Amino acid sequence: MNSKLLDVENLTMKFGGLLAIDDLTFSANKDQITSIIGPNGAGKTTVFNCLTGFYRATAGSMYLNKENERLNLRKFSDFRIAQNAGVARTFQNIRLFPQMSVLENMMVAQHNKLMDASGFTLLGLFNSPSFVKKEKEAMEISKYWLDIIGLTKRADDDAGDLPYGDQRKLEIVRAMCINPHLLCLDEPAAGLNAKESADLNKLLLFIKNEKKTGILLIEHDMSVVMEISDHVVVLNYGKKIFEGTSQETKKSTEVIEAYLGTDD
Amino acid sequence: MRKNFLKFSVKDSLFTGLIALALFGPIVGLRTVAKNEILIVQPKWLIVILIVAVCAIGRFLINLYVFKRDQKLGNQSTIGKSIGNFLDTKGTQIAISAIIFSVIFPFLPFTDRYLMDIAIMMLTYIMLGWGLNIVIGLAGLLDLGYVAFYAVGAYSYALFAIHFGWSFWICLPLAGIFAAMFGVLLGFPVLRLRGDYLAIVTLAFGEMIRILLLNWYELTKGPDGLTGIPRPSFFGLPFKSFPDEGEQTFHTFFGLEYNPMQRIIFLYYLILVLALITNLFTIKIRKLPIGRAWEALREDEIACKSLGVNPRNTKLTAFAIGAMFGGFAGSFFATRQAFISPESFTFIESAIIVAIVVLGGMGSQTGVVLSTVFLIGLIEVFRDFESYRMIAFGGAMVLIMIFRPRGILATRKPTIILNNKD
Repeated sequence: MNSKLLDVENLTMKFGGLLAIDDLTFSANKDQITSIIGPNGAGKTTVFNCLTGFYRATAGSMYLNKENERLNLRKFSDFRIAQNAGVARTFQNIRLFPQMSVLENMMVAQHNKLMDASGFTLLGLFNSPSFVKKEKEAMEISKYWLDIIGLTKRADDDAGDLPYGDQRKLEIVRAMCINPHLLCLDEPAAGLNAKESADLNKLLLFIKNEKKTGILLIEHDMSVVMEISDHVVVLNYGKKIFEGTSQETKKSTEVIEAYLGTDD
Repeated sequence: MRKNFLKFSVKDSLFTGLIALALFGPIVGLRTVAKNEILIVQPKWLIVILIVAVCAIGRFLINLYVFKRDQKLGNQSTIGKSIGNFLDTKGTQIAISAIIFSVIFPFLPFTDRYLMDIAIMMLTYIMLGWGLNIVIGLAGLLDLGYVAFYAVGAYSYALFAIHFGWSFWICLPLAGIFAAMFGVLLGFPVLRLRGDYLAIVTLAFGEMIRILLLNWYELTKGPDGLTGIPRPSFFGLPFKSFPDEGEQTFHTFFGLEYNPMQRIIFLYYLILVLALITNLFTIKIRKLPIGRAWEALREDEIACKSLGVNPRNTKLTAFAIGAMFGGFAGSFFATRQAFISPESFTFIESAIIVAIVVLGGMGSQTGVVLSTVFLIGLIEVFRDFESYRMIAFGGAMVLIMIFRPRGILATRKPTIILNNKD
């Protein structure tokens, strides 16, 4: 099989007369961090929304290559993308369950697995041993991730009470709880200070290297993008204007023009 | 400072008097009387002046003695806060003592028929509150038509019992299943709706069911209602003063004197058990994946989708299970009254149940009990004042909202704990 994890071909998204994504083709490799950058309004989040089933793309195809199958992402509608295709995402404005505890947030992410184990609630009502065991396992997984981001001590506090940086990290590890093949992060470094973004870089590299999960990243913070991405896709007005490694991107004249404008 | 404050208080109380005049002037002051077959307006200014004076002076006194010097808003609700803290920390103890009290209640010396009837009514409302708490408190779906499921439960129980002669214990689960089916029926069209829009559609659904019951004369006897619904029996032993030839009844079987209170006490325990089952079920299901998914759905539906939680199934189960308990309560209502008509299932019932859940603190089981006792109790205490009792009802709601804006018991305990600190 090829080493491509995600193949996006000729993706087009129209909102009425507005062409948000125009014939976009790119791919993301396995075990790599692929960044999508571009000025505001370039259509980055729209790409995510198409990939994760929140929008139905007007045209084009999106394929996710697992070990031995090739999934057409267009065939999955909203929640099934996470449940069956294994594409997880986070949001530009953090979407935790603020009035539920940190641990509960992690448990909701393992809902489908636990729902099966609870025999659609019937077995769970009577505390069947198999369900209790599965629930323990789910707690172990939650604890594993909370240890990594250093939130184990606050596991029983409301997620909404966490500091902003911790909420960002929690949202990422919560998405990891569904065991995704591809993790889509929408501006995870927005609003973080220098130290927090350094922590974030570490976490993302850990996910990439240890968990072998491909990461698709939208980011404005160039310190994050340049430091950890293996591959950069630059969008402007819904079109891909450049694709290459971070070093190549820095030097590209098209990219500089898109961000800073041309003098004419 | 002090002088300014006095000046402010005088001004404030005069303004209050003005508002009172504007409100009570037309309402109380002008009365139409029929004299010689024509309507004339008869002013009653004395009583208006009296009311206005009471309002103005009362406001002045409140200004002087309650608000006092420091006018910080936070200080006003210290009493509310301390009551709240007490309730929040002692929730479990309150719950246990309430259960013990309700078990021995029928045998307390001061308990009479009237108190028993009120207690049964309160327990019915508590059960409905607990059922609706699943839909509103946990899943966050504002359902203003809950009484529809109560009605479906009551009517399906009544129809099964009248036409097929099945016993209470067969009709009860059937009524629950029927109500749950109607819950799903309501759930499907409103899957995409949220907040205000959901509330409007559920309200309409409640009215539709009532109007259906009113007009489907062949089945429901319309406004005449269904009569002769069989009374419940104690596992086959009926409560009758004069048993038929060779028939075992409750009092002959246990060798007791016949007393109409026996049936009332049985009904009381029946609804107590039904309500406690509702409660235990909710407490348990909150800790299961489905319960957690309900709460997650209340918090953020989009995040739920991104984690692979199926919002359709999750919402429908919430509607169905909430409706099922409404149906159980409905069948109890039918067997207790022995007569039901669409008049018992008006919108005001839904509104009261929603008020109970919201004022109790969304999602709080003990809160539902407290607010039921408070609200229904007040309505009963003020029954002699006839229509003025609704003022007491409204006043109670206002008080709760001032002192406990998020409901009587607002704190939420996590459903699962990682670090056992205490």
